[in-house]
Amino acid sequence: MLRPRTLRTRFRQEGFLLVLLVPALVYFSVYHLVPMAGMSLAFQDFRIVGPSKFVGLKHFKMLFSSPAFFDVLKNTLIISSMKIILFFPLPLLFALMVNELRSVLLRKFVQATAYLPHFLSWVVIAGVWISFLSPSSGGANQARGLVGLPPVDYMTSKSAIRWVLFASETWRSLGWDSIIYLAALMRINPSLYESADMDGAGALQKAWYITIPELAPTMITVLILNLGFFMSAGFDQVFNMMNDSVISAVDILDTYIYRIGLLNMQYSFSTAANLFKGAIGLVLILGTHSAAKRITGKGLW
Amino acid sequence: MSKIRLKGKPSSVADTLFRAAIALALLAVSLVVLVPMFNLLALSFSDPGRVGEVTGLTILPKGFSTVNYRVLAANPLFVRSIINAIIITVVGTAINLLVTSMAAFALTRERLPGRRFFMLLVIVIMVFEPGLIPEYLVIKKLGLMNSLWSVILYKTVNVYYLIILMRFFEEVPASLIEAARMDGAGYGTIFLKIMLPLAKPAIATLGLFYGVFHWNEYFRASIYLSDPDKYPLQLILRQFVVLDDTASLIGSGALFSYDEAARLDYGALKASTIIVAMLPVLIIYPLILKYYTKGVMEGGVKE
Repeated sequence: MLRPRTLRTRFRQEGFLLVLLVPALVYFSVYHLVPMAGMSLAFQDFRIVGPSKFVGLKHFKMLFSSPAFFDVLKNTLIISSMKIILFFPLPLLFALMVNELRSVLLRKFVQATAYLPHFLSWVVIAGVWISFLSPSSGGANQARGLVGLPPVDYMTSKSAIRWVLFASETWRSLGWDSIIYLAALMRINPSLYESADMDGAGALQKAWYITIPELAPTMITVLILNLGFFMSAGFDQVFNMMNDSVISAVDILDTYIYRIGLLNMQYSFSTAANLFKGAIGLVLILGTHSAAKRITGKGLW
Repeated sequence: MSKIRLKGKPSSVADTLFRAAIALALLAVSLVVLVPMFNLLALSFSDPGRVGEVTGLTILPKGFSTVNYRVLAANPLFVRSIINAIIITVVGTAINLLVTSMAAFALTRERLPGRRFFMLLVIVIMVFEPGLIPEYLVIKKLGLMNSLWSVILYKTVNVYYLIILMRFFEEVPASLIEAARMDGAGYGTIFLKIMLPLAKPAIATLGLFYGVFHWNEYFRASIYLSDPDKYPLQLILRQFVVLDDTASLIGSGALFSYDEAARLDYGALKASTIIVAMLPVLIIYPLILKYYTKGVMEGGVKE
């Protein structure tokens, strides 16, 4: 039994907990809460001195009547679809393949190399890829040359650049995103495979009838949680791989918001675009969260 | 009729071939990751006179020279950017760990006043990203522009990491805390003497992640810092490699003999910059593998 505490010690003890929370609250205020409130700028005309004037939906009307905005929205949706839907089966496939490796050493080597790019910055990755795809000296074109194909300048080709984004995203995330499946694979009851062996099932049959169904909840969770970030499409990657020749093919919402906001200093207009993106993102995250919870019993939080 | 097969013994020729094909495909993935990196390493250490021989698939240097690294080491802007990056990473990570663990401890105490409200706040922060411009204006108003603090304090608390640490603290047996309470320990003692030591592996893992994050950060630095003396390495790297601004790195060429400077190859110099920017991550990478992937896998088994 605990000694009953006096009101004073209780106050002191619980006050101490609040003190521990204060630094985090200060950070949340400066970098999250005050800026969130500051998004009301989308409904105002920004003024450096004095109060900003309320202008209602002016900036949103401007946004929805701007053809540039729809190009950017289209790019965002295309690039996100490639990086979320098209990419989706690859880490699963990778995990299934790693799971078939019998040699522990080989397994460790493959995993260690495949996880590595996840920890490199997009600046470094862009540097590595720009060099690798160089039409004159890059490895990709050298490999093309070996089979007699002409060199391609991937970084400045409008038709190739989105595939460069897809490929470099795969390069960076294939291994790392497979971890969740490898962990799920370890949870499958081995007796399932043993009884399948007794029935004379082959490797592919076992994969189709046991492994895939067992992994389905993980697959659904990964897919719908990624859909929650559909409006983002990867700012850092695009920002570092974009150049003037391909901007029309890869300019996404986030790079557009950055450009009109910080480079053109149209603060209110940029915030309106940002709020639009945030609102759709919020609906997607809340929607996918409740979908995940309903289907698999596990949500984001 | 029924045969008992030894576990792991290949059953047939087809099975063996299947596994061999998988092993080869996975090795190819490893090569695609490693070759471009080794290629840059080879380029950076090649003799400037023989750089032309280095193709995109070369993984060993042609000849040997450290001239590129000497050029970088003689560039005050480059050296300064490494120091800045180290300051941001070390101070930033220390603050991250302190603030995140204090908050995680407080939020997992049932007696915390207003606990439900604070948890709601954490969720709001997790699902709604504030805009770039409003954040920029707040930083400006606080007078943090062109101060390393604006970069150091960015992502002081990563809410996902906060939640990971909270789950860790929640798993500490209540009996342990009760026993300490009986001995008259307050929250401070419980936090410092029980929780932190028990959460050491989790805190180490988060430290590695926060550290990699700070080292790799360039964007906040690019919008908040105007003085090139304050730029971190990744930002210099971006200027040099992504934006192709060679003047920023060659500006100090005067320190070199004319002969040597004339022979420099920009491609090789860029490659050296990339290698330097990757190096700290490569150094701590074995630790990341040890702590994180082990944690994830074991966590997966436990569930």
